[in-house]
Amino acid sequence: MKSGRWITETGSSTYLSEAAAIWLRDLRGEFRTRYAVNAILMFAVTTLIAVSFSIGSFRIGEAEQPFLYAVLLWIILVFSALSGLSRSFVKEEEAGTMDVLKLSARPQAVFLGKLFFNLTLLGALELIIVPSFILLMNYEIKLPGLFTAMVVSGGIGLGGGTTIVAAMIAQASARGALFSVLSFPLLLPLMITAIKGCEKAAVGANNPGWPEVRIAVAYSIVMIVMSLFLFPLIWEE
Amino acid sequence: MHSLEVINLCKHYAETLLFKDISFELHPGEVLAITGWNGSGKSTLLRIIAGLVRPSSGKVEMFLQGESIAKESRRRFVGMVAPAFSLYEELTALENLEFFSKVRGIAYDRKSCLGMMERTGLSENANKLCRNYSSGMKQRLKLAQALLHNPPLLLLDEPGCNLDSKGMKIVENIISAQRQRGMTVIASNEKREVDYGDRVINLSE
Repeated sequence: MKSGRWITETGSSTYLSEAAAIWLRDLRGEFRTRYAVNAILMFAVTTLIAVSFSIGSFRIGEAEQPFLYAVLLWIILVFSALSGLSRSFVKEEEAGTMDVLKLSARPQAVFLGKLFFNLTLLGALELIIVPSFILLMNYEIKLPGLFTAMVVSGGIGLGGGTTIVAAMIAQASARGALFSVLSFPLLLPLMITAIKGCEKAAVGANNPGWPEVRIAVAYSIVMIVMSLFLFPLIWEE
Repeated sequence: MHSLEVINLCKHYAETLLFKDISFELHPGEVLAITGWNGSGKSTLLRIIAGLVRPSSGKVEMFLQGESIAKESRRRFVGMVAPAFSLYEELTALENLEFFSKVRGIAYDRKSCLGMMERTGLSENANKLCRNYSSGMKQRLKLAQALLHNPPLLLLDEPGCNLDSKGMKIVENIISAQRQRGMTVIASNEKREVDYGDRVINLSE
């Protein structure tokens, strides 16, 4: 059976170059329509403002602040991501472009392209929300290196988890509800780890080897590698 | 040299039988027309051949120089146009062709994409967003997209859908050109389109 890499008359392609084309197309489309960006940012900003006004620093004792602020930050990040990241696949289904994409691109390239796009959105979200949260809540962080590593590794895990769930629910009805219901248990271990890591970073606890960051990195690697194997099965009919 | 072999294909959804025991062979230069009542399974048969839908039983095999091509690779030897397909509305026509060139592994060449747009009569609107295209222009762009990689197998589901007489002439030219180097399967109920076929399979019989 001939199943190897497809080579055209004019050249050859790799998974990464195809994924980059899908990533750039999604970015270009998002730049022009702003469907996902608007959904994510609206949710994130309104939640952030609501949190900062209702339970600002003056209502929480100093001892509870590191833990509670870490919880609030990750709730904002995770639920903002859930409000918009399913769009990467859902918009293909809604626009009727799914079949043409199936005929044109290899499944792993599609998954990687969508993952890169979701990670870009999450990166932008974290760049806006995390500094705003720190400023608005007067969030004191004793170990900024650990905090940054936790936010980055947690974000990658969040992107990996939500991308594969978005692919699973794209062809279902009641997608919005399904996305949250399926994503939440998948993301819960990552969320708990990220909260713990951010709390330690705020307290400045002695934390040799940054175990929470390592867990989040391992989670991200496992999630992305498993998704690359599973995605072709989801992508088929 | 490519060839296509369809063996005892059968498709049913739940209790509804669409078609059964469809078998044929197709060789380069041949055009097969598939016709039948609405709901007889013409589009589904094309989607099965393309590898987008699994048959209930039977199989589709495509051969390249005598070697069978795996299903996951087969899709990329196929160019398909169907009414249910859409291209990216938020991109221009040229950006759409650029995107599909890149994901299909064709080194992007603006000149050949513009050539393809000229072939389908869209060169003057190459930089217009697809959402501003008429339905006939969208159909022409779908044809351009399907031909980008010079597919050995061209699947045309109602190719004349929304096209004017100039557009129909373009379809005719595309089918003539495909005869020189590949195979074509057309699904339609339009007499003019069915007449392009050397052979006809009627799914309603």
